[in-house]
Amino acid sequence: MTTLWSGLADGALYALVGVGYNIVLLASGVFNFANAQLIMLGTYLAYFAAVTLKLPLAPTVLIGAAAVALVGVVEERLAIRPLMGRRDSHATLITSVGVAVAIDGIVLRIWGSQPKAIPAPLSTKPLNLLGGTIEPTSLLLIVLVIVVGVGLHILSKKTMIGLGSLASAEDREAAMARGVNVRALAIGAFALAGLIAGAFGVVVGSGTYANPGLGDNLALFGFVAIAIGGSGSQIGSLIGGFATGIIYAEVSRYTNADWPQIVVFALFLLILLTRPRGLFGGAVERQV
Amino acid sequence: MAATTAVSPPALPWLRSARPLMMLGLGVVVLVAPWLGLGDYWSRQFILIAILALVVSGLNISLGYAGELALGQVALYAVGAYVTGYLAVSHGVTDILLCLLAAIGGAIVVGFVSGIPGLRLGGWSLAMVTFFLVIIIPNVLDLLSSQTGGALGLSGIPVPTIFGAQLVGDGFYVFVIAVTIIWFAIFRNLIGSSHGDAFLVLKQSPILAATLGISVYRLKLLAYVVGAIPAGIAGVLFAFLSAYISPSSFAFALAFTILTASVVGGSQSIYGAIFGAAILQLGPERIASFQNYSLIVYGAFLVVAGLVFSDGIAGLVRSGLSQARRRGWLSSAAPIDTVGPMAESDVALATAGDDTAAVIGDLAGEALTVTELRKDFGGLTAVDDVTLEAVPGEVTALIGPNGSGKTTLLNLVCGFYKPTSGSVRLGPVELGGLAPYRSARAGVARTFQTPLIPKGMRARAFVATGRYVSHRVSMPASILRLPSFWRGSRASDAEALRLLALLGIARVADSEVASLPLGTRRLVEVARALAAEPKVFLFDEVGSGLDEEDIHRLEEAIELIRRAGGTVVLVEHNFPLVLKIADRIHVLSQGALIASGTPAEIQANRRVLEEYTGSSETVDTIEELERSDAVPGPPPAEPR
Repeated sequence: MTTLWSGLADGALYALVGVGYNIVLLASGVFNFANAQLIMLGTYLAYFAAVTLKLPLAPTVLIGAAAVALVGVVEERLAIRPLMGRRDSHATLITSVGVAVAIDGIVLRIWGSQPKAIPAPLSTKPLNLLGGTIEPTSLLLIVLVIVVGVGLHILSKKTMIGLGSLASAEDREAAMARGVNVRALAIGAFALAGLIAGAFGVVVGSGTYANPGLGDNLALFGFVAIAIGGSGSQIGSLIGGFATGIIYAEVSRYTNADWPQIVVFALFLLILLTRPRGLFGGAVERQV
Repeated sequence: MAATTAVSPPALPWLRSARPLMMLGLGVVVLVAPWLGLGDYWSRQFILIAILALVVSGLNISLGYAGELALGQVALYAVGAYVTGYLAVSHGVTDILLCLLAAIGGAIVVGFVSGIPGLRLGGWSLAMVTFFLVIIIPNVLDLLSSQTGGALGLSGIPVPTIFGAQLVGDGFYVFVIAVTIIWFAIFRNLIGSSHGDAFLVLKQSPILAATLGISVYRLKLLAYVVGAIPAGIAGVLFAFLSAYISPSSFAFALAFTILTASVVGGSQSIYGAIFGAAILQLGPERIASFQNYSLIVYGAFLVVAGLVFSDGIAGLVRSGLSQARRRGWLSSAAPIDTVGPMAESDVALATAGDDTAAVIGDLAGEALTVTELRKDFGGLTAVDDVTLEAVPGEVTALIGPNGSGKTTLLNLVCGFYKPTSGSVRLGPVELGGLAPYRSARAGVARTFQTPLIPKGMRARAFVATGRYVSHRVSMPASILRLPSFWRGSRASDAEALRLLALLGIARVADSEVASLPLGTRRLVEVARALAAEPKVFLFDEVGSGLDEEDIHRLEEAIELIRRAGGTVVLVEHNFPLVLKIADRIHVLSQGALIASGTPAEIQANRRVLEEYTGSSETVDTIEELERSDAVPGPPPAEPR
């Protein structure tokens, strides 16, 4: 059970990245590779606010959320929007990888390559739960990610903003003609994804540390989460993320440290081969 | 001649024909540089640049030409290096040619394993699969640590040999440069063949590629796997150069270096890979503080390059040359639109008069039979049990208001949609449910309402893409420039010119198609459709947006196809045009067929008029109809 809990805690991270990918994907049809780097940036800002500035929890979370949301907006404005409506579809691939690499570089430049510990917001005394142990912060992470994922799912299916964003991802021009403010939606989606990434900085970072390799790793596993769950499905992304985390943890338990990554990779290939749209696939990234 | 992919207009012909020789000359100079006083430091740098350039060139094929981002060149590079290390250390194999062969084989296998799942979905999945491939390198090496040395690395890789002789010092240098030259010659020949044009089509419009009978998935896979080869080669060279390899040589940061080098040099270029590799190899060496900022610089560069100059240095050189030419600093060839050798064929066509049917040759048209075809989108029935037939030697028109299901029907025939029920047959072949490229191969050719034309392609090359599948020249033959390549490309080019001349637009043969006026682009598309020698032609809204003269030309072209025995299906808004050239007209309304008949019958049909004019009064003349037609058409034509 302890393995399961630690799998769920890791899985929550992957699900969180997947949810962030989906927010942008659903609103503007763009895959934002740099989303995992935004989460990494959130952990560094949490370190900066909580450790360097010694601020209490609430301002730490607020600073992280506001700052990363701003970075998201800047990214959209500089690297994504100029390419919308252009025909060569792979340009956003390059620019969003560019943003990710630049964030990696900036973080390394400012904070160096040594991981930085972030104090846990809750007690570090492990809880005994359902026959296993888990740290309270990890449990909080799991719960918060589920709340955010389910909340966004309801938002995208039930509200005008959600429906408008679906329409705009499906067909930008048609949505514009219907009076959907496509630009505001796109920028709002990047801001929201950044906001969530930044707000999670403390909860994520107390488990993973602020660590320069975090971005690339999360990018990959977050993508596996949406590959399993189907891109565009927030619930699918939660399931995909948790499933990936559990599989990883279970494989780690019985084998040496090399196998979990390879097993997840094999699973990823298998999903792409057999269910290329994912298990719960809905909207698909624009192909043409 | 080979269809070139260069974006530049065909001025500077001396440069174009001299470029391969120039590059070869440059290569030879680099090859003999040790005897021209190149020191040890620089010869090592040149080797490292060559190795990086090989890896980058592989990425250029998949990213620049096939439009798929792959981040896993590092993994394929590692495969090459470790295959070599394993063979040399564990088995004492030092023959570098044998190692190259084994490494290429290994890279191809890994290319297929990652490419087959990675390309299923398009978009990001290849990038992520290959990204993952790089991340698990240390894990895989660790699991195979008895062969690879695990995290400690593999040391003591012996000096390579070739035909039993040791390759050291200048010998190794010459070998590396020679291999690089040979690979770039192969790369150039591949891109300068019909395959290169097919890559361009694939990248810019998967829909057009499928319409040409190209399996998008397979061609992308092929491009990606071909791109794996130079990475494997580079791995061999690196292993022998450094005599020690470890997982840290293949870290993920290298993937970003490779991507940046590709984008800096220009992903969609051949020699750009060398420039990009040189800059990224020498930059950090020469600028001490570069290390600290390298990731930030790479990232910023990727963003800027993606936004602004997506063609990299190669693109800047290209546009610089055309600037210089425009300002008269360089001699330029005759402008493309003036009288050139092509004019003769134009004249020939003009005098051919009524013989055009003989010129076009017989088209083996087949009957297109649509039986109770139905397509539902959720609760909406877009095509409602439609039955109709189009026969060879006739023009069959499909008309109806917007949203009546005309284009959906066309897309069902082409395979872009799968029918809910019913059948579509071309002669004896059932098309319903076939993938678009299979429909195209079965003999369906179509044009698009908005012509789909890749940027940077000249008319003759674009028309020749119609023959890519039907008159295929194999990739090895193209790379090795075998006689079959020359025969094939000469025949395709001649056929393209002939078809352009037939349609009266021979003068645009060397113009970039995307920059031509709409009417001419439509005609070029018709020529492309003709080049495929299809069994049925589907023309989607072929007359919309054209002026009278363009419409007249298109009418002639369609008439030509009809007389040659082709099967023509016309989807058209322009009622007068349809009345004039169609033999049979089918009228769709809200997905259902409401009338079929000859133009005269349709003209007299009350129901049709209601749909079209909102009034049930019959009109006697087209002029009257024209006045009430919601869709602006050309000035009234003479009724047949």
